[in-house]
Amino acid sequence: MASETVPTTGRRRSVEGKPTFAVAFTALFLFVLYVPIVVVVLFSFNSKKSLSVFGGFSTRWYQDFFNDEGLLSSLRASLFISTVTMLCSIVLGTMLALALERVTSRPARITGTVALIPLVTPEIVTGVAALLFFTGLGMKLSLTTVIIAEITFSISYVAVIVRGRLSSMSDEVEEAARDLGCTPFQALRLVVLPTILPALIAAGLLIFALVFDDFILAFFTTGIDPQPLSVRIYSEIRMTISPAINAVGTCMLLVSVLLISLSLVVPRLLGRKDSSLDLISGG
Amino acid sequence: MTDQISAATGASDVTSQTPAIELIGLTKKFGDTTVVDHLSLDIRRGEFFSLLGPSGCGKTTTLRMIAGFSDATEGRILLGGQDVTSVQPHKRNVNTVFQSYALFDHLDVEGNVGFGLKRKGLDKSEISRRVNDMLELVDLGGRKSAKPRELSGGQKQRVALARALVNRPEVLLLDEPLAALDLKLRHRMQVELKEIQREVGITFVFVTHDQDEALTLSDRIAIMNNGVIEQCGTPEDVYERPKTVFAAGFIGTSNLMTGTYSAGAVTVAPGLRVELPGHPELIDGSTASIAIRPEKIWIADFEPDMVRVHGTVAATVYHGATTQYLVNISPEIQLTVVEQNLVRSHHDDRWSDGDSVEIGWKPEHVVVIG
Repeated sequence: MASETVPTTGRRRSVEGKPTFAVAFTALFLFVLYVPIVVVVLFSFNSKKSLSVFGGFSTRWYQDFFNDEGLLSSLRASLFISTVTMLCSIVLGTMLALALERVTSRPARITGTVALIPLVTPEIVTGVAALLFFTGLGMKLSLTTVIIAEITFSISYVAVIVRGRLSSMSDEVEEAARDLGCTPFQALRLVVLPTILPALIAAGLLIFALVFDDFILAFFTTGIDPQPLSVRIYSEIRMTISPAINAVGTCMLLVSVLLISLSLVVPRLLGRKDSSLDLISGG
Repeated sequence: MTDQISAATGASDVTSQTPAIELIGLTKKFGDTTVVDHLSLDIRRGEFFSLLGPSGCGKTTTLRMIAGFSDATEGRILLGGQDVTSVQPHKRNVNTVFQSYALFDHLDVEGNVGFGLKRKGLDKSEISRRVNDMLELVDLGGRKSAKPRELSGGQKQRVALARALVNRPEVLLLDEPLAALDLKLRHRMQVELKEIQREVGITFVFVTHDQDEALTLSDRIAIMNNGVIEQCGTPEDVYERPKTVFAAGFIGTSNLMTGTYSAGAVTVAPGLRVELPGHPELIDGSTASIAIRPEKIWIADFEPDMVRVHGTVAATVYHGATTQYLVNISPEIQLTVVEQNLVRSHHDDRWSDGDSVEIGWKPEHVVVIG
């Protein structure tokens, strides 16, 4: 063992030269992170009603879920909210990012900072504020109010991600498009937007995932029927704990995994080497 | 390939008297700062023209106004006799090679080079033919489907050049296109750029702060400083016959001395008169600045009729082919002398620091500046 000790650092290393502690700690980290999720997926296929004893494979909780009109309408509501929010916030957030990248005046810089505040504001504050705003205006709480609240919250995320890509793109790229015969709008459509497309995809998937399982904002701003899925699960759990919730959770997990896979695959289909994951992780 | 492009430019031979570009009183102000100050300039057809100057002298702003990216505060820009001062960039028949290359990341080499032709609405077979020809010209025939990120700096530079040239513009604008390349590659690209320009015959307007680059490449150079042109002429003009103190100082090393002229000599320091024969136009008592290039000062083996001055060697720098001596001829005046390592190729033969020497030059090699 002593012969394997690297004298320069004095740290103990395994034969391959990897620090054993780091490997063990990483394994523990992944275990703690994923075991609860594995349990949920596993018990969604439980034939018993128990949440602690596994009694054999069955899909009865999935049947329950897909026969529960209330849960299904909530699922549809959540998908609707996520899709509309994603599309609207991509358009608005990209417009904001383009404007903030371009204008260098003092008011614009202040706006740029203010636009980031929703990222750090406690969501509960945003939720209460949105609720007071809607009731103050006399608006009836519904999916529309949820969508409006989610959009205001999502624009900042889109703006941050898109600005990151824009700032790494030289102003000369847009000028080159103009130089080669593009009107300002064509330069945006044919050069700027395709260049930042991976960032747009990344932002869109992120917003969809964030909004799809958002609870706090949805809880404050939703009407009674239909409720978003997260709010519906919460109210169901308060009354009865049904293993059908595990099935719902597993379905939501599937949606997330699907989105992440798409974010990896779509940029490659577009002929990029970088995927949107690189953008999120800064790679 | 060559035939096609010269055919395109050949059509303009009818109006070859009209300059490719005329700048008339062109001025650009940013707030209170005047970046380009009533600049007037004619650039001829087919010429390799350089705008040379230190950073902030207004050369890039001038180029951007010609391209249309920056609006002129005052003055006019004529392209081939047509006033384009307020014409949008996409409607001007000029193309630009950007300093950062500004390639489109989402398109491959072929897509980048064909971009301008596609905007013009040419049919596919014509686009692909011209793109192929152009890629052959810049030696990138085999990299058609590569993405910009897969290319080296020199290759990106060629794509940027091809993307601009393929449109056969009246004028090609180049904004320090070689600045990002390493020295060796830069020298190679300089040679290639000049060859390509000769081959296509398009007017090149080249912005640079590198005097060597400007001297090597240009048919004519405009030396810019503080938004105005200090001097405009052939490389030989601006090197051998600088018209202003700035021009003399910016290009190459100039030994510049200023003093009062009287009776055929200039008093450049108290008690130090430097002879200046052959200048009857100078009036006694007037101030004269004289400049002598380092390679034109001799440090021994003088010829008759040379002007000679005594001095002390302050420093010796060996450069391989040449040796550079810094010689103090007065406490304030230090002249740079460059000598070929021909006669004194051995170290012991050369002078060293502190040696007392005599230096001299031929009267015709002295340039008198205003």
